[in-house]
Amino acid sequence: MKKIKDYLPWIVYFVFFLGIIVVDPGTHYIHLVARVIIFSLYAVAFNLLYGTTGLVSFGHALFYGIGAYVTGMLVKATSPELFLLYILLGAAGAAFVSFFIGLLTLRLTGIYFTMLTLAFAQLVWGLTFKLYHFTGGDDGIQAIAKPAILSGGVTKYYLFSFIVVTICIYILWRIRRSPFGTVLNSIRQNPQRITFLGLNVYKNQLKAFVISAFFAGVAGGLYAGLDGSIHPDMLHWPTSGNAILMATIGGMGTFFGPIVGAGIFTGLEEIVGKYTEYWSFYIGLVVLIVVLLFPNGVLGIKRFSGNKNNEEKETEVVCNSGN
Amino acid sequence: MKHKIFSLLIIAAILIPFTIVQGAETIKIGALYTMTGRGGQYGKDSEVAIKIALDEVNAKGLPGGAKLDVIITDDKNPQYAVSVAKRYITDEKCKFLFGIISTAIGLAVTEVSKEHKVIFVGTDHAGTDLTANKFQKYYFRSSNNTFQSMMAGAYYLKDEVKNWKKIAYIGPDYAYGRDQWMELKWGLDKLGVKYDVVGEYWPKLYEPDYTSYITAIMKAAPDVLVNGMWGGDTVAFIKQAKPYGLFSKMKYFHVDAGGNYEALAGLGADMPEGIIMSARHHNNWPETPANKTYVEKFYKAAGRYPSYAAEGAYVGIHMIAEAIRKVGNANDTEALIKALEGMKIPCPEDPPGFTSYIDPKTHQIVQVQAIGTTVKNDKFPPAKYMLGNFKVYPAEKLWPNFEYIDYMTKVKGK
Repeated sequence: MKKIKDYLPWIVYFVFFLGIIVVDPGTHYIHLVARVIIFSLYAVAFNLLYGTTGLVSFGHALFYGIGAYVTGMLVKATSPELFLLYILLGAAGAAFVSFFIGLLTLRLTGIYFTMLTLAFAQLVWGLTFKLYHFTGGDDGIQAIAKPAILSGGVTKYYLFSFIVVTICIYILWRIRRSPFGTVLNSIRQNPQRITFLGLNVYKNQLKAFVISAFFAGVAGGLYAGLDGSIHPDMLHWPTSGNAILMATIGGMGTFFGPIVGAGIFTGLEEIVGKYTEYWSFYIGLVVLIVVLLFPNGVLGIKRFSGNKNNEEKETEVVCNSGN
Repeated sequence: MKHKIFSLLIIAAILIPFTIVQGAETIKIGALYTMTGRGGQYGKDSEVAIKIALDEVNAKGLPGGAKLDVIITDDKNPQYAVSVAKRYITDEKCKFLFGIISTAIGLAVTEVSKEHKVIFVGTDHAGTDLTANKFQKYYFRSSNNTFQSMMAGAYYLKDEVKNWKKIAYIGPDYAYGRDQWMELKWGLDKLGVKYDVVGEYWPKLYEPDYTSYITAIMKAAPDVLVNGMWGGDTVAFIKQAKPYGLFSKMKYFHVDAGGNYEALAGLGADMPEGIIMSARHHNNWPETPANKTYVEKFYKAAGRYPSYAAEGAYVGIHMIAEAIRKVGNANDTEALIKALEGMKIPCPEDPPGFTSYIDPKTHQIVQVQAIGTTVKNDKFPPAKYMLGNFKVYPAEKLWPNFEYIDYMTKVKGK
C-alpha cells in the first residue's frame, strides 16, 4: 500500500503528460504543455537546492541560460543532428561554471549567498547582452534548427522533451531518496549536526549546486530547441525568480511540488496574459495567496492541515532539544 | 400555391441577409505589443491607431463582407511572445501576425511566421536585420528601418552640416543603438565624407544618470554628437545635458527616434532650439490632408497626439486590407504575398506626389525621410517645440541598398 502511495505522483505524472497526446487538444496546447515539462525540470532541479538543501539561489537563470546558449550556438555553428549531445554539452557547461561559482558563493550563507548568486548571474547576463557579435546581444540567436527526426509538428519534440525530462526527473528523484539526498535534507534542517556527524556541509552543498545546475542546463537546452530561438532574457533575474515562484507555488518541501508549480505558473501566464496586460498583478496575487494561506505550496496543503511528516517531527525534536 | 410561393419568397428575403451576415468571415489578426513599462506608450498608441484603421477598413468593406479583427497581447519577452504567436496561429486561427515594438521579439516571432507560413507585418521594431540578413518571405514591415533613417542622416551631415570633422556617438548599449552607429558610419563612408570619431559612449538602456557621459563628451569636444536613444532616455539625456551647454557647443544630431512626438511632448519647453532630429512620422509634416486627418482622428480617439509607433500600426492594417481586397480572400497566403510585394500604400507621412510602397525583394516599406530642426511650435500640446526646416530625402536613395545588406550579412550573419 505504501508503495502505491509512493508511486502515485509518478502515475499522475505519466497519465497527465502522456494523456495530453491522446486527448490531442491542438498544437498550441501541446506546445504549452511542452513548456510546462521543460519548466518542470528547471524547477525540480532548482528545488534540489531550495527545498531540499535549503539554499536560495537567485541566479539559477545563469545555468538555464548557459544550457540554452551552448546548445543553440553549437547547433548554429555545426548541424542540428547532434542536438542531444549539444544539450548534454550545455548541461556540462552549466555544471562546470556552477562548480566555480559554488566554490565562492557557498562560503556564505543566507541572504549573502542569495545575493552573490544573483550577482554572478547578472554578470553573465550583462556579458551575453554586450557580446554583440558572439551572442547576438539583446537580439539573441534565432533559427536554431532541430534534427530532422524531431522536425515537423510539435508532438515529436514534445515526446522528446518528455523522455529527456522524465529521465532527468527520475535521476533527481533517486538522488533525493538516496543517502546523499538525506544528507542534503539534514543540511537544510541542521547543518551543525551534520558537521558533528563528521560530514562536510560545504562539499555536499557544492555537489548539490553542481547537480542542480546540470539539470537546469538540460532544461535550457531543451527550450532552445522548442522555440528555435534564444535571448538574454533567459539569463536575466526574472527567470531565476520564476524558478523560486514555481517551487513556492507547488510546494518546495515536496519533490513533485515544483512540477505542479510549473503547470500553475505557465497556465496562469497563458490565461491571464490572454485577457489583460496586468498579468504580473494576478501572478503576484496568486503567489501572495499561496504564501499566506498555503505556506507549504499546493502539494503541501496536507501538511498545513496538521499531518506532519517524519522530517518535520525530526526538525521539531532537534529544535526543541536545543541542538 | 401562389400564396405559398409568395410566403416562401418573403421568408427567404428575411433569412438571406441573415445568412449572409452569419456567413461573413471575421479575419483575425494576432498582434503583440509592449503595453506596459517604458515602451508601453508605443503599444497604447498602436492600439488606438489599429482601432482607427479597423473602422476605416471595415467601413470600406472587404470581399465577401468579411471583417478584420485584431487581438492584442502584451508581448513581455521573446519567450512569451513566441508562445502567444503560436497560440494565435494554431488556436485562435489568426491569418496574420502583427505589431511588435522590440526588434529582439520581432526576430523571435519572424521564425514562428516562417515555420507556420503565416504573414507577419512588423509595425514598429526598426532593426534592419528583419528586411536584410534575417529576411524571410512571410515578413513585411510597415515602418522604416534604422538604415533608412541613418542613410538619410548621412546625406544630411554631408550636405547640410558645414565645417565639421570630429564626430562622437552616444547610444543605448544594445543592438538598436549599435546598429544605428554602424549604419551611419557606413553611409558616411559611402558618401565619401571624411570624419574622425572622437568618442563612442554606450550607456545602458533606461540609464537614469548621464552626467559622466556628458562630461566625457564635453571633454572630447566633437563637432557633431550623434544620439541613438529613444523614448524616456532621450528626454533624460537632453534635460541633463542642457545645463552643461552641450547644445550650443556642438551640433546635436538624433535622427531615428529623437524627434518622436513622445520626446517632444516629454521635454516641452526644455527642448533646445535648433537641434537636428527626425522620427518615423511627424504630426506636423507633411501638411497634407491625409496626415492632418490621421492626426486629428488619433487625437479625437485618444485625447493626445500620436507617437510614430501609431503610424506603422495604422499603415499595417491598411496593407493587410488592401492585400485581401486584391486576392479576394485571406486564405491564399502565397497570393497575399504576391499582392503585398510592390504594393503602393498611401501613408500619412507621404508628401504630395509620392506614395510609399513595399519593396518586392526585401518586403520593407520604402518611404521618404524628412529631417528637421527643433523650432518653437505649440500647436501640438504639451509639446512646445516641433520639428521644422525639413530636408526631405527621396525614398529610392535610401532603400533597398543591397550593398549594405551584403555588408550586414557579413558582419551579423544570416
